[in-house]
Amino acid sequence: MGGDVREELTYWLGADVRAVEGLPDEALKELRDALVAARERQAAALRTASDGALRQMPPVLRGTVSRILGR
Amino acid sequence: MAHDLATRAELVKLAQALGTTPDQVAFAAKLPHTTIRRVRERAVATLYDEHKAAFRRVAAITRLLPTALNVRITLRAFSPLLAARVAGEMAPDRAAELANRMPVEYLAEACVHLDPRRAAPLVHRIRQDRVLAVITELVTRGDFITLGRLLDAATESVVRDVSATVPTEALLQIGFYAESDAQLTRAVALLPPARLRGIVRDALKGEPELRSAGLALIGRLSDDKLRGQLAEYAAEADDETLTALLRTAVDDGAVAELLVAVTTMGEQAQRRVLKLKALTEPHMAGHLVRTVEKHNLWARMAPVVALMDNDLRHRFTESTDRQTDPH
Repeated sequence: MGGDVREELTYWLGADVRAVEGLPDEALKELRDALVAARERQAAALRTASDGALRQMPPVLRGTVSRILGR
Repeated sequence: MAHDLATRAELVKLAQALGTTPDQVAFAAKLPHTTIRRVRERAVATLYDEHKAAFRRVAAITRLLPTALNVRITLRAFSPLLAARVAGEMAPDRAAELANRMPVEYLAEACVHLDPRRAAPLVHRIRQDRVLAVITELVTRGDFITLGRLLDAATESVVRDVSATVPTEALLQIGFYAESDAQLTRAVALLPPARLRGIVRDALKGEPELRSAGLALIGRLSDDKLRGQLAEYAAEADDETLTALLRTAVDDGAVAELLVAVTTMGEQAQRRVLKLKALTEPHMAGHLVRTVEKHNLWARMAPVVALMDNDLRHRFTESTDRQTDPH
């Protein structure tokens, strides 16, 4: 397993990364890509949902709520 | 490539967890299903934990507001996705208080996004009629993956009520995606005999997908007595139905599940299934013997082999000799 891929998979899987080490390099890259894509999809879905929530707030509260949500 | 049933279920669950299709995660099929599951659980935990701090802050604010206002704000401004993520960071009592006042459709959608690690304490605190209504809604949507996950959080009383109201086909699908064998076994054990018989009947008479779900179910039970009960109901079926089951087991790589089920039947039922003509088809004996070898089932199978008629036993031993003789 390449260093970068291993490092990224360790971020996701912790010590369980050892359980996937038997996969061919190509499959490990696919796994890494699938996990990264999932994170991007989640971030986009949460962003859209947060934007929708902010639109429903009175304008005076939007800045505060936005900060609470870490935006 | 055909995958065994447990792998198939895990690939579907991994794909759903990552928001993609089973084809896109087919690379994971080379892993044991238990490893695919660990990958999914770790990935899901990482995904949920990434945004935890923000949702925890929102959850903290809800503590300052009365429940009615929280409900109003949530329904007006928060999608079920956001609400589920906030609920995961709230005290379960407080989250349940809100959930008890929300529309069932909203809750059903939120369930899909609920952190699996936080589901049980929350679900246990929601009123049972609400839980049952959400389950009915998820069944209507055909979201059996979420239902399979929720089975772990279901109380005995919920399982009893669901088993009485949800169609048997849906119960089979929920069982296919259930997370824990032990909880699945407990849930099946709670079903009354008539309901169990109905599940077996529908698994056998339904689409191949339901037969697969039935095979997966019988394979996952951790109680041989219960497995034997289901297997004996199955043995009451006609030859055509049992042959279809055998072929599905071969196609699904679930012959081991089928053989183990046969070993748990009573002798009369075992004699009945051993009369199936399909067992004498070319290659069938070889297929069965390979499965027995691979899963080390000789000790369990010995009493069944003893009940075979001379012709079938001859085919069986011949196949065994062929596989053990290197020449």
